[in-house]
Amino acid sequence: MLSYIIRRILMAIPLLLGITVVSFAIMKLAPGDPASLLMDPTISPADKARFMERYGLNDPIHIQYFKWLGAMLQGDFGTSLIRKGVPVIEMIMNRMPNTILLMVVSTFLALLISIPFGVISATRPYSKLDYSVTVTSFLGVATPNFFLGLIMIMIFAVQLNWFPTGGVATLNAPFSLWDRIHHLMMPAFVLAAADMAGLTRYTRSSMLEVIKQDYIRTARAKGFKENKVIYKHGLRNGLIPVITIFGLMIPSFIGGAVIVEKIFTWPGIGLLFVDSAFQRDYPVIMGLTVISAVFVVIGNLIADILYAIFDPRIEY
Amino acid sequence: MKLRKASWWLISLTLILSIFLTACTGNTSEDPKESPGDDGKKEEEAAGPQKGGDLIIGSTGAPTIFNPLYSTDTSSSDIEGFIYDGLVSSDTEFNPTLSMAEDIQTSEDGLTFTAKLKKGIKWHDGEEFTADDVVFTFSIPKNPDYNGERGSAFEALEKVTKIDDYTVEFKLSKKDASFYPVSLSYYILPEHILKDVPVAKLGEHEFNTKSPIGTGPFKFVEWKDGEYVKVEAFDDYFKGRPNLDTLTYKIVPDMDAMIAQIQAGDIHFAAGVPGTDIETVKSFPGVKVESGLGLSYTYLGYNQKNELFKDVKVRQAITHAIDREAIVSSVMNGDGKVAHVPESPLSWAYNDDVKKFEYDVEKAKSLLAEAGWKDSDGDGILDKDGKKFSFTVKTNQGNKVREDIVVVLQEQLKEVGIEAKPEIVEWSAFIEQISAPNWNYDALVLGWALSTFPDQYDIFHSSQREEGLNFVWYSNPEADKLMEEAKQILDQDEYKKAYADIYKMLAEDQPYSFLYYPNVHRVMPANLEGYVFNARDDFYEIYKWWLKK
Repeated sequence: MLSYIIRRILMAIPLLLGITVVSFAIMKLAPGDPASLLMDPTISPADKARFMERYGLNDPIHIQYFKWLGAMLQGDFGTSLIRKGVPVIEMIMNRMPNTILLMVVSTFLALLISIPFGVISATRPYSKLDYSVTVTSFLGVATPNFFLGLIMIMIFAVQLNWFPTGGVATLNAPFSLWDRIHHLMMPAFVLAAADMAGLTRYTRSSMLEVIKQDYIRTARAKGFKENKVIYKHGLRNGLIPVITIFGLMIPSFIGGAVIVEKIFTWPGIGLLFVDSAFQRDYPVIMGLTVISAVFVVIGNLIADILYAIFDPRIEY
Repeated sequence: MKLRKASWWLISLTLILSIFLTACTGNTSEDPKESPGDDGKKEEEAAGPQKGGDLIIGSTGAPTIFNPLYSTDTSSSDIEGFIYDGLVSSDTEFNPTLSMAEDIQTSEDGLTFTAKLKKGIKWHDGEEFTADDVVFTFSIPKNPDYNGERGSAFEALEKVTKIDDYTVEFKLSKKDASFYPVSLSYYILPEHILKDVPVAKLGEHEFNTKSPIGTGPFKFVEWKDGEYVKVEAFDDYFKGRPNLDTLTYKIVPDMDAMIAQIQAGDIHFAAGVPGTDIETVKSFPGVKVESGLGLSYTYLGYNQKNELFKDVKVRQAITHAIDREAIVSSVMNGDGKVAHVPESPLSWAYNDDVKKFEYDVEKAKSLLAEAGWKDSDGDGILDKDGKKFSFTVKTNQGNKVREDIVVVLQEQLKEVGIEAKPEIVEWSAFIEQISAPNWNYDALVLGWALSTFPDQYDIFHSSQREEGLNFVWYSNPEADKLMEEAKQILDQDEYKKAYADIYKMLAEDQPYSFLYYPNVHRVMPANLEGYVFNARDDFYEIYKWWLKK
């Protein structure tokens, strides 16, 4: 197992390098540069030119890439071009806890809701309950999260005043745990919604498949209680494909966070990503790309490890 | 065992959900609209301003750095305005007024300015403000190691010297009409904190982002990246302690979020709400809107490197063909004013005694015919020497009004046989395409925010074509000469006269079709008092603002 993990991590290195090459190229191919924000009669062209020169933005693209890569390999992600002198790593670390909190909570929310509902609708297929779970999850899949987010803000924050419109905490108020949770609920739910729906569907179909297997009949024949049959013998096998899907969903959590953070003014890395992209703050964009790529690689690795735990037949 | 666990799962889940629900309903009693200043302070006389209260200001832009010699964005300068002060500031008509200076004398030749400083002004850390601070601040952009983008404002400055603790002398190498109103209005930095920092390192010093100290009405408290910047009243402010206790400058991702938060009472003050949304905002309880003409104009600019637009008659014809009144009334809901010159009616230098090109389709057609354009193949589009009069109009994405205008222009210009195809481009890409050295556009719709000191040199002088902001490639040697001469005029009335001639020429030449001056709207709590509208400064004299209880 350990050697497998090490092997996987070593394999991730060329992958991450490839990601940086492609992202760097795409980023640089996009027209515009950070100096375009200096469209101001009070700033002279010479000052603009010096800005470009100072940050090496006039160098050929491969030179810029290798300079960046060299520094990055030594743990230096550079400083922001827009927020002069602020280290990229500091900007990301300021935001990271918020994003991780949002992702972890919404992941748990998605699992906590979708797996039980998936199992319930699989054990009572074509019942009213099954149909209502199915319809709800289709609605969830079909609703883009920016739309759901805006609708929820309109109804629950603006009209009913049940939830805050955004942010991580009430301004000008002392810290309170409840306040933080209160701010977290809507964004976490919206981020979880689409995946929740998908996971419910996968759990349902996978469980349906498993329940028809011989070993389930055997378990029943042995006289186990139905619940034990379903949850102990069924669910463990039924979850294997769900784990694969879940591993694949981790990138979508990061992508979804970009949108959800923007809608809910959630100061995480997603919001930073959007702002940096519009401002062409290259070092920040690259720093975030590397970190999200690492996240995705780790996410997939965890999914593979969970495989081995849930499926005794798999050994690494 | 496992079995029980699983059912527990469901039970606890239902419980969690129900906790959420009850808690949420319980929260409705809390009305956020009451929050500004509602902290139970004792009632004061209704006559004078009441002290206290917190104001939450919404902004769609995030600040970057709180050092006026290095910042280049509006959000940063908003916050710098709370923290710092300059020797000179300006009033609602943009006339320069004295702020930290008690008196400023100009020498006969206009090359020496002597500033007497007010005594007893304190920095936020208690130190006294003196001539050393002024000399220190003005020496930074003159230092060869200076790497900010503000150097051009101090180009004329040759030397700054301390005469005594409260007198500073500025020596200029050439006459510069903008030195007094613009250069002297730069905020002063504290010498006692920054004197040992090498100038090359100053732009990236912690002072700028973590602990700025100024002499302004509010002290810096904290900056939560991506969330807010908070400042609190400075008790020893030399114009008197601000009435408000704190300001929180809250960063929101976009205008939709801003409006939702205004409605929910999470934001109290907001500038820049577009005219198209203002009626909605006005209907929110506890909110009032103050509106006025903004210090900016929007235009249709012609790339005069392009053969199509080299002929002045063609440019005049297009202006005649555009129904600007209709644009203001229909696209903008009447929320603006038709423009004829590149200066705001709010400015002391405004003069619209110029040739005006009213909406007149027939005249447009005859001007185009004079220029040799006619529809020889009968397809409804004019042509000349086998070339069709067809071009694209670019504008930046994200400005709803401009996006609508390019479509309206397409319709209006079709009337005179011109095909104008709209193209909307993301901001950064747009700027790269249109500006030096690409000039990759035919015509564009864009706006200029105007400075409090009117100067058209950077935008219309022919020396600014190769790499400056004259990206339409306008050139008129006569206008060039006038703009150069105006830079030497220190008397305001003379300056105004000189500019009257410049505006006449610019209007005649139509390097742009000047479209309109937009209104600006500021949303604020209904009980905010002491607010005075200033087109250039959203937070004009904010230390006087107060909340009526």
